[in-house]
Amino acid sequence: MSVLLLRLAAPLQAWGDSSRFTRRETRPEPTKSGVLGLLAAAQGRRRTDPVEDLAALRFGVRVDQPGRIIRDFQTAIRISDGAVMPLSYRYYLSDAVFVAGVEGDAELLRGLDEAVRAPAFPLYLGRRSCPPAGRLSLGVVDTDLESALRDADWQVSRAYRKEQGQTVHLDLLADASGGLPTDDQDSFTVRDVPLSFSSERREYGWRDVVRLAPVAKDNPDGHQREDFFAALGGA
Amino acid sequence: MYLSRVLLNPSRRGTGRFLASPQAMHAVVLASCGPDAGGVDQAGRVLWRVDRPEKHRIELYVVSPEPPDFTGLIEQAGWPTRATWDAADYDPFLQRIEAGQSWRFRLTANPVRSVSAGEGKRGKVTPHLTRRHQEEWFVSRCQHWGFEIPTRGDEADGEPVRALELSGIGLAEFGRSDPDSGRRGRVSVTRVTYRGELTVTDPDVLRRALTSGIGRAKAYGCGLLTLAPT
Repeated sequence: MSVLLLRLAAPLQAWGDSSRFTRRETRPEPTKSGVLGLLAAAQGRRRTDPVEDLAALRFGVRVDQPGRIIRDFQTAIRISDGAVMPLSYRYYLSDAVFVAGVEGDAELLRGLDEAVRAPAFPLYLGRRSCPPAGRLSLGVVDTDLESALRDADWQVSRAYRKEQGQTVHLDLLADASGGLPTDDQDSFTVRDVPLSFSSERREYGWRDVVRLAPVAKDNPDGHQREDFFAALGGA
Repeated sequence: MYLSRVLLNPSRRGTGRFLASPQAMHAVVLASCGPDAGGVDQAGRVLWRVDRPEKHRIELYVVSPEPPDFTGLIEQAGWPTRATWDAADYDPFLQRIEAGQSWRFRLTANPVRSVSAGEGKRGKVTPHLTRRHQEEWFVSRCQHWGFEIPTRGDEADGEPVRALELSGIGLAEFGRSDPDSGRRGRVSVTRVTYRGELTVTDPDVLRRALTSGIGRAKAYGCGLLTLAPT
């Protein structure tokens, strides 16, 4: 098995999984549908094209820098005719950094890697107003999803490292593999498997997510104070 | 449950008021933790503690059953134009606590004992005033809170050396008025900060200690235990 690793960092990101009407929410971590949508856009697929092959990839994410949730009260007006759009609350993650991984066939992933480096459509992190900052692809590694996410370097700035303690624990979430998660694991279910991105009829299926043991990273740049948040995940 | 950390601005008048009176700090913390914050339920209660890890750094830690909103406190005693508080869901971390783990910890507590006032009468609660008694108070109750303090070999005279450090020993004295009778009085609370390393022995009991607090004077900044990686 191979894994394509993506570094998802930007001033703003938004990963909605259950937004309805004028309240557009974000999860605290990237969604599978959002990341697969980004990959499909990189390949140049249209919204009506099938995405079954992508949906079959196993998905996981590591929280390198959790960021903060901010709310935008949006009062948009359409430029072409001055029509007032519905007043909406849009939630974003600001200053967050994630490492996302998709696991599957090496050939397919290498193709996706190339597509991400030279995308057909502009890429964005969950919402069109959130372009990625810095390099996006961390390349394809030949190992399983969990160890790829555990071994990847901690993708945060030196300034952020200095604010953390000497050890940080990064939250790790992944698709439950091989059926239902076991009882002793922290797990939840989200409606987040893209069946169709078509603007006529968007459709999502359910997936089980497990929270795996956090990744401990040494942080020699960190301060010496005891950090009571370090063990809570996401530093 | 939620764990939060608020940075307080040492140069603001509100900070001085809150630090001088645990009664005032308790009020503002409860007001930040939702309308039902005063109660004690199955999951836990509101607990708080003030740490000063460096000379000009004042950290307020809060454990609360509901997600807190410290906007009001920040306006009086923080940096209102910067995001200076963090709140994290405590439950995933609590679920990961297992027997045998070791953690660095910090706790500010109110070590007291009850001195008998004769048979059938309620004893008088009296603070432990010597360092030796304060240490004994903590070490003898550890098992009861689901952890133990590892010993680091024996010293020459046979006394075990524990991974435990006592600091910030002091008396907090402040005014308080009874909300029912309106009577005013003075409260004095002896506070001791315990730091060191612990080993988990009973995860369920420790979870309870982390969310419901340790010892007395929990409303006055005592009893909040926090864990950090070793």
